[in-house]
Amino acid sequence: MIMIPAAGGTMQPAVGLIANPASGKDIRRLIAHGSVFDNNEKANIIRRVLQALDAFGVKQVLAMPDLYGLVLRALEDTQVGLRVEFVNISVTNTAADSRLAAAVMAQAGVRCIVTVGGDGTNRVVAQGCGDVPLVPISTGTNNVFPSLVESTLAGMAAAAVACDVEPVWDRAVRQARRLEIVRGNTLVETALVDVVVYDERFVATRAIWDADKMRALFLTAPYRGTIGASAIAAYLPQAEEVARDAAGLYVELGPGGTHVMAPIAPGLIVPVSVRVVHPLELEQTIPVTYAPSILALDGEREVPVPPGTSVGVRLSSHGPYVVDVQAALQAAVKAGFFIRKP
Amino acid sequence: MALSRETLLGLYEMMVKIRTFEERVAEIYYEGKQPVFNIAAGPVPGEMHLYSGQEAVAAGVCAHLRPDDPVTSTHRPHGHLIAKGVDLKRMMAEIFGKETGLCHGKGGHMHLFDPELHFGCGGIVGGGIPHAVGAALAIKKRGEDRVAVSFFGEGAANIGAFHESLNLAALWKLPAVFIVEDNLYAISVPKTASTAVRSNAERGAAYGIPAVQVDGQDVVAVYEAAGEAVERARRGEGPTLIEAVCYRFRGHFEGDPEHYLPEGTKEQWKQRDPIALLAKQLKDQGWLTDEDAQAIEERMTALIAEAEAFARESAYPPPEAALTDVFVQAESPREEQSHG
Repeated sequence: MIMIPAAGGTMQPAVGLIANPASGKDIRRLIAHGSVFDNNEKANIIRRVLQALDAFGVKQVLAMPDLYGLVLRALEDTQVGLRVEFVNISVTNTAADSRLAAAVMAQAGVRCIVTVGGDGTNRVVAQGCGDVPLVPISTGTNNVFPSLVESTLAGMAAAAVACDVEPVWDRAVRQARRLEIVRGNTLVETALVDVVVYDERFVATRAIWDADKMRALFLTAPYRGTIGASAIAAYLPQAEEVARDAAGLYVELGPGGTHVMAPIAPGLIVPVSVRVVHPLELEQTIPVTYAPSILALDGEREVPVPPGTSVGVRLSSHGPYVVDVQAALQAAVKAGFFIRKP
Repeated sequence: MALSRETLLGLYEMMVKIRTFEERVAEIYYEGKQPVFNIAAGPVPGEMHLYSGQEAVAAGVCAHLRPDDPVTSTHRPHGHLIAKGVDLKRMMAEIFGKETGLCHGKGGHMHLFDPELHFGCGGIVGGGIPHAVGAALAIKKRGEDRVAVSFFGEGAANIGAFHESLNLAALWKLPAVFIVEDNLYAISVPKTASTAVRSNAERGAAYGIPAVQVDGQDVVAVYEAAGEAVERARRGEGPTLIEAVCYRFRGHFEGDPEHYLPEGTKEQWKQRDPIALLAKQLKDQGWLTDEDAQAIEERMTALIAEAEAFARESAYPPPEAALTDVFVQAESPREEQSHG
């Protein structure tokens, strides 16, 4: 494992921090009842993460800069001994910032990256972080990949990972799967939870909320108890049966199928007609020939499929490494990580 | 909401119309003002605030409005009024200060009023926001299905009238849509130096108003969000706040040296020109060819040339008309008393 050299030449455990100032404000607040997550609360979350990292031995944090200065604002009202530095990237205020910041942090040798955002934030961070595990903190009610976890605890788990507490990696870090969008042999995009083939042509406000426009659904895992497009399979008994021996799922949607009442957005529970549920095996590629359409990745319209073109959706085991906060805390407790001499 | 070919080509044409109008007005404005800038010289004296770069916001919102939906605008009003459907000849004549203008030449570019389109604007920052709330209150009391829309900048969101307006609109559940055009600068002051919150969309939560942030350079995104907000208001479900993040391609006013802009940022934003962005999307879908785009541009140029000719040929209002159309004429002694 790469270590960050400190000023004196010793190796210091370092943690990356990527907070997305744009998350939590999309149209789901208008067409559904999505939670409002303001940036002052995000700064609060960051303060709690920093306090936890500081309390448990992390000496350095590499943070993503943004025009609002989320992390700077968090630092204004926080007394911590650890050193916070910003990765040197040109801020564009787009998703590209998160992707690039993750890559720079991974290159610098951080032990894990704490993310503050939604599924979309983690999707792009995962494209840059390589093998560095993520500690995702959800900022909203419409997420599957990041957990709604108290950030103090997430910070404690991140500290345990960063300080290389013996059983934590084995017991609490797993590699997630991902869905890969391919044109020919070219990988064009990835998703961490789901891909929906949506009968629309434009990215527009990104969110998807019209179930009648959903033509197919791909899932990285047979999710249970979730919200969003993944909920379509999560509340369907047939999906559970098919999923028993499958890595992921491919679900054909459209008229004439079984109607499942699915919470496809917060407070938006609608009937969705499911025609067939197929198992999806690792490395299996399903062609998407429904065109024109647009692929929604983890709930956001992202990849247009113009008329006369096609893409493939492939389930891959090469997703990001993810820290299970509760499992990490339990492993760290067993290792006595939180014990200090009086 | 249908994002049909017809709808999107209409949005494209509207954005081209606004851009062509604004760029031509800029050329006219500088007539007689150079080489040494003289604000009083030329056919259009006084200040000039142009809308180039922000076309997606006006086009995307106004596409959902009817002529009888009230709209309040700002010191940068041309785009909003064009998108609302104004007669370009009368608008251009007003900018020239001519008698045939919307306000008979007494308003100028910053004070355009069109009663037929229920449109008003003014130079007082944030001044239009409470007017829209008043209009929305009237709509609600009359039981109509109209919607009042107020456009304003992110600087205006820091004044009291914004907060008072949101409070009453929420309290009375009024059919109002508030559009914050966040072009990042209030004259020369960056938002980061004036505003404690990153996004004005966050301020809706304080009043219980659904609020969303959209990419103001993407007319399809603006159109989709505004459509939901306008329909929501027509259904009687109350106000919505939309923050459209955009950028002005010209200065705050014509002649603005723009020393406050960090080097290269305008060029970066121009990479996301709303007209070019939509043109690319339409071409990818096979809905627009280069020839189509050229034809639209030529048609809009001809329309605006016609408006310009009308304005140039029109007469200035006579001096004796200085006080007409300025004060309301009381229709009865009783009304006069109540005004007194």
